[in-house]
Amino acid sequence: MDIFDKFASLKSRSDLVQKLGVDPFGVKFDHILNATRGMIGNREIILAGTNNYLGLTFDPDCMDASIKAIKKHGTGTTGSRIANGSYEEHIDLEDALAKHAGMESAIVFSTGYQTNLAAIATLAGPKDVLFIDADSHACIIDGCRLSAAPTIRFRHNSPADLDKRLTRQGKIEDGIALVVIEGMYSMFGDKAPIKEFVEVCERHGAYLYIDEAHSFGIYGETGCGLAEEEGVLDRVDFISGTFSKSLASIGGFCLSRHKGFEITRKAMRAYMFTASPTPSNVASARAALDKIASKPELRANLHARAEQLHAGLTALSYELCAGPSPILAIRRPNEIVAATEWNWLLENNVYVNLAVPPGTPQSSSLLRISLSAAHTEDDINLILNAFTEMGKQSEVLMSRVQELMAAAQ
Amino acid sequence: MSQPTHDEIFDKICELLIPYNPKNKAISDQSGIMTDLEVDSTAVFDLIMGLEDHYDISIPMEMVSDIKTVGELVSAVKQLTSEA
Repeated sequence: MDIFDKFASLKSRSDLVQKLGVDPFGVKFDHILNATRGMIGNREIILAGTNNYLGLTFDPDCMDASIKAIKKHGTGTTGSRIANGSYEEHIDLEDALAKHAGMESAIVFSTGYQTNLAAIATLAGPKDVLFIDADSHACIIDGCRLSAAPTIRFRHNSPADLDKRLTRQGKIEDGIALVVIEGMYSMFGDKAPIKEFVEVCERHGAYLYIDEAHSFGIYGETGCGLAEEEGVLDRVDFISGTFSKSLASIGGFCLSRHKGFEITRKAMRAYMFTASPTPSNVASARAALDKIASKPELRANLHARAEQLHAGLTALSYELCAGPSPILAIRRPNEIVAATEWNWLLENNVYVNLAVPPGTPQSSSLLRISLSAAHTEDDINLILNAFTEMGKQSEVLMSRVQELMAAAQ
Repeated sequence: MSQPTHDEIFDKICELLIPYNPKNKAISDQSGIMTDLEVDSTAVFDLIMGLEDHYDISIPMEMVSDIKTVGELVSAVKQLTSEA
């Protein structure tokens, strides 16, 4: 028995997809030129799958903040904040995030994944019950698995189904109900009906935790996310997010309207027993937060480009999984067709994401596009031209698919 | 609802599995849900929500992790409906 035998079926699936050309899950860029262009060899690729929603990765102020932080504090923190201390940048960023969102408490983490893992696993104790959306991200599911609380799933984006399941649960002896949803879902780009979820939670006395990883910086008058957009930010108990999307860095945060949240710093294992975010990451996230507050035009351009691309792809008869948003997911009939098209797009200098089951809702195979405020109207036309051309070559592409499927039989 | 029998629960599971079993594989108590029937982890949870609604029970996620076969799922539903 080989230790890797258990991955045999995953390996055969991976080998099949790699026969189409480039491994979609192992793309190597030789050089990133700016927020919307990268180089593979001597080819310039338009980046349409980076979650770089506000296009701030090359913003001069954000880069300058990072460089200054490295010069001041060095490259790494080399330890956790509990054991090895905090830097002024950690505290400053937490204060700025709490103030920006009007929350009582803010805690920063080393990645977005760790944020939900740490907070959910710790906030829900053995006598509590977790209620999570059926399409929850892996980090929410893993947080639930690490918690001692039973976890009930409710139907995706359905406050009525949550209401039914909370009613079915009834009174929780010596415990609470914690409901976890996302603002905008990462695969389809569909948005939660947050106000209705808030109302259901308030009716049942349940706490509400919203992961705004894909919506922070993008929605709401001041960029706080979809809870702000729906006017209910002050009624949400916890908001989490990441620095690796609109904030153009790496790390994550959890905000709470409850001062009591502060004590969990001394209970969250994924906060206590891991190195804190580096000075450069925290400093650029802090600079990007200022941009979110001061440059609403970034959001305006991002939404305009999303409308443009959504309309263009719809006119080309592609099936999109949700309405216009910075995430546009195109449903394909199966993963071989999706991977074949993904390769064709990359060969023709357009980088999008390939998303396949079980990482997708409804076992869908998707070409997933994420847009940036740095994309121009011409960039979107370039992407649309590529999809138009790909449509014209569908017969050639489908014969490639059939050959591969026959070889795999 | 009166307490369902093993066969009634088994038949309900087979009915709910139809959309996830396109190759129409034969289902028995011993069938591995993810291994033999090749139902992916996301679809398993859709199946679970269908059972929860039909029998008005809650099947927590950690209980689902321990269920490998159709027969084990029948037993879990039987136990939860008897507690209800």
